[in-house]
Amino acid sequence: MNFATTISIVLLLAAGSIPAQAQAPLSPEEARALEYGKEIYKVKANCQFCHKWDASGDTGYGGIALSLRKTALTPEQFAEVVKCGRPGTAMPYHDQFAYTDKRCYGVTRAELGKDAPLLGESLQPREVDAVVKYLYAKAVGRGPATYEDCVDFWGQDTRQCEPMKK
Amino acid sequence: MKTLAFAGALTCSLLAGTALTPVQAADMTHERALNVSKEPHNWLLHHGNYEGWRFSQLKQINTENVKNLRVAFTVALGGYESGGRYKHGNLQATPIVEDGMMYVTDGWGSVYAIDVAGGKKGLIKWKFDPGTDRAWAGDVACCGVNNRGVALWKDKIISISLDGRLFSLNKATGEMVWERKVADPAIAETLTLAPLVVRDLAIVGSAGGEFGIRGWIDATDLNTGKQAWRTFTIPGAGEPGNETWKDGKERWKHGGASVWETATYDPESDTFYQGIGNAGPDWDPEYRPGDNKWAASVLALSATDGKIKWGYQYTPNDPYDFDEISEHPIINAKVNGEDRKLVVHAARNGFYYALDRTNGSFVTGKQYVDQLNWTPGLDPKTGRPLNYNPNTDVQEYAPGSHSSRAKPTSDRLCPSHYGGKNWEPGAYNPELNLLYIPSIEGCNTVETVEQKDFVDQGGPIKPRERFAGGAGKPTERLYGSLKALDPATGETKVRLKLEYPNYSGALATAGNLVFLGHYDGSFTAHDAKSLQELWSFNMGTGINAPAVTYSVNGKQYVAVLVGSRQALNVWQHAPELKNTATASMLYVFEQQ
Repeated sequence: MNFATTISIVLLLAAGSIPAQAQAPLSPEEARALEYGKEIYKVKANCQFCHKWDASGDTGYGGIALSLRKTALTPEQFAEVVKCGRPGTAMPYHDQFAYTDKRCYGVTRAELGKDAPLLGESLQPREVDAVVKYLYAKAVGRGPATYEDCVDFWGQDTRQCEPMKK
Repeated sequence: MKTLAFAGALTCSLLAGTALTPVQAADMTHERALNVSKEPHNWLLHHGNYEGWRFSQLKQINTENVKNLRVAFTVALGGYESGGRYKHGNLQATPIVEDGMMYVTDGWGSVYAIDVAGGKKGLIKWKFDPGTDRAWAGDVACCGVNNRGVALWKDKIISISLDGRLFSLNKATGEMVWERKVADPAIAETLTLAPLVVRDLAIVGSAGGEFGIRGWIDATDLNTGKQAWRTFTIPGAGEPGNETWKDGKERWKHGGASVWETATYDPESDTFYQGIGNAGPDWDPEYRPGDNKWAASVLALSATDGKIKWGYQYTPNDPYDFDEISEHPIINAKVNGEDRKLVVHAARNGFYYALDRTNGSFVTGKQYVDQLNWTPGLDPKTGRPLNYNPNTDVQEYAPGSHSSRAKPTSDRLCPSHYGGKNWEPGAYNPELNLLYIPSIEGCNTVETVEQKDFVDQGGPIKPRERFAGGAGKPTERLYGSLKALDPATGETKVRLKLEYPNYSGALATAGNLVFLGHYDGSFTAHDAKSLQELWSFNMGTGINAPAVTYSVNGKQYVAVLVGSRQALNVWQHAPELKNTATASMLYVFEQQ
């Protein structure tokens, strides 16, 4: 099983499918769902440690993490990567039963051997769904993050966003 | 005088007898700091003494009776809140204990003054919360929300916060007397280390090596709250050592060389020995051709004015992230029949070094980790890695052990880029002349991503952005060791394999014991000669802090801060720990 090839195909297939940005104001329920997804990205699954708060990717102690803003994956493919991780890389899986059967990329841990991804924080399907919705609403397909994005992420009670102020 | 002294004593005893008035310990003076051995019941300095021994003369708890150790009391603390890149804060502090009062910190910089005098419970008399800007500071903390403890000075507690402030607190009440902004998170500088107080100066250094800082060591005059001196760990233009940054683009301005663990101090020469972090960017040494002084080094500095007396670099043009910030114990020993004044170091690069502390010359060096593959050894005269090439600007240590722009992923690197040994301190038993090194054993790989320049050098990287030039990658399960070394030769006399890499540090006692905390929550006591485990208690959550021992009313206790969920890179390879929860606790043990 050559996972790198599989991923390349997925990326190629997904190219050009960057979703349009949401334009309409959010309903309270939609806003609540995005907050829920943000909290998973920020704290619970701690995705930001490696991918950075704005999902632009990073290097350092988290490993070499891709920009999610520039991903060409569909939300469904993205959710699969969250659940299953990326074999051969530091991207962990978040479905704690991944690779115990063939639910992820049709392979088991034994078949992947040393390329098997490592376990991240366990997430339930609704949490995976929320974090994917959050990223596609706030980051994927967008240009560089703005001061407003920063305040949206970190809140008003920190100096964190000051350098981005125009 | 006598009458006055009597009246004073009477007043004190009356005040001490009321519940509302704190018992006043004596002022912490330089004299007391130099003579901690006269107060074996206390733990007054971060490393136990200025020499960095973490050794207590107490021996009521000893090899014979340690099996009867039990929990005396516990105290729940705070500081596990999320912030910045981190899901929770950690506890890494060494408790300071003075006459039945204990002072500890949590990762966000809150100081807790805990009355432990009764021996039955720990009563938090006061808490000082500095109100750290968690998002701002936590986003530029490379490796966690950490604070390694406080220092005593006169009738004050001297503490720091991750967002760069140094505080003077009233020891009796916790009221802040003043604060000074020392480090600036706006340019990714943070503080995590316990201050070293020498006379009236508090010496700290800046963390932030993974975010493009230029490291420094800074002294605050505690009488005024103002800066006394600051010395950059990377020499500036025209200063000796600056020529070891050969890029021609002033990349030394963002070259790392951070400082994040408390130095040792030799009062005889008024010199402190500060371990210095790795060069930045960590894993792209082609970005910074040259030896990159004084990254991955030790500096000997005058405590009075911060002037550098000498420096010794362990890993020139380090491509691995081999910080050398950890403690540098001061030991006098006979080497080849000659009395030598040594400063020693169990380095993150996997070697033990003994240097002449009067001039920085190399005395001896020896591999102490189980596996080491980045160099075949050390030059017996200079201590330089044998494959160091003085005629090249970008070092080619053992092929495959490091990554490069041409080969972005290394093969196996041993020890892993975590070390060796990280900040977690070892201990020295002078009665047995054994140095205890808790270590991280095993290997991993490192990766290079070509580093872009900072904005002030015409590049796109803004302050506070990561500046690592790659990453480390966990590839196999790491384990740990406790080793007892002869400090004069570096010879490992006894070794004990540990299930987990050690991330807590050691305590040695005259009861011929060594105490150690572990990832899985075990807290163990070992025979100081054989390292055999004599006692163990599991706290059910990880331990990241070194233990101390003290006595009150003639009874000895052992104390340690407990509570962390280990980092992803740890439990990914130790899946049995994946559901461990964080906590924030003080545990105190007594003899049954």
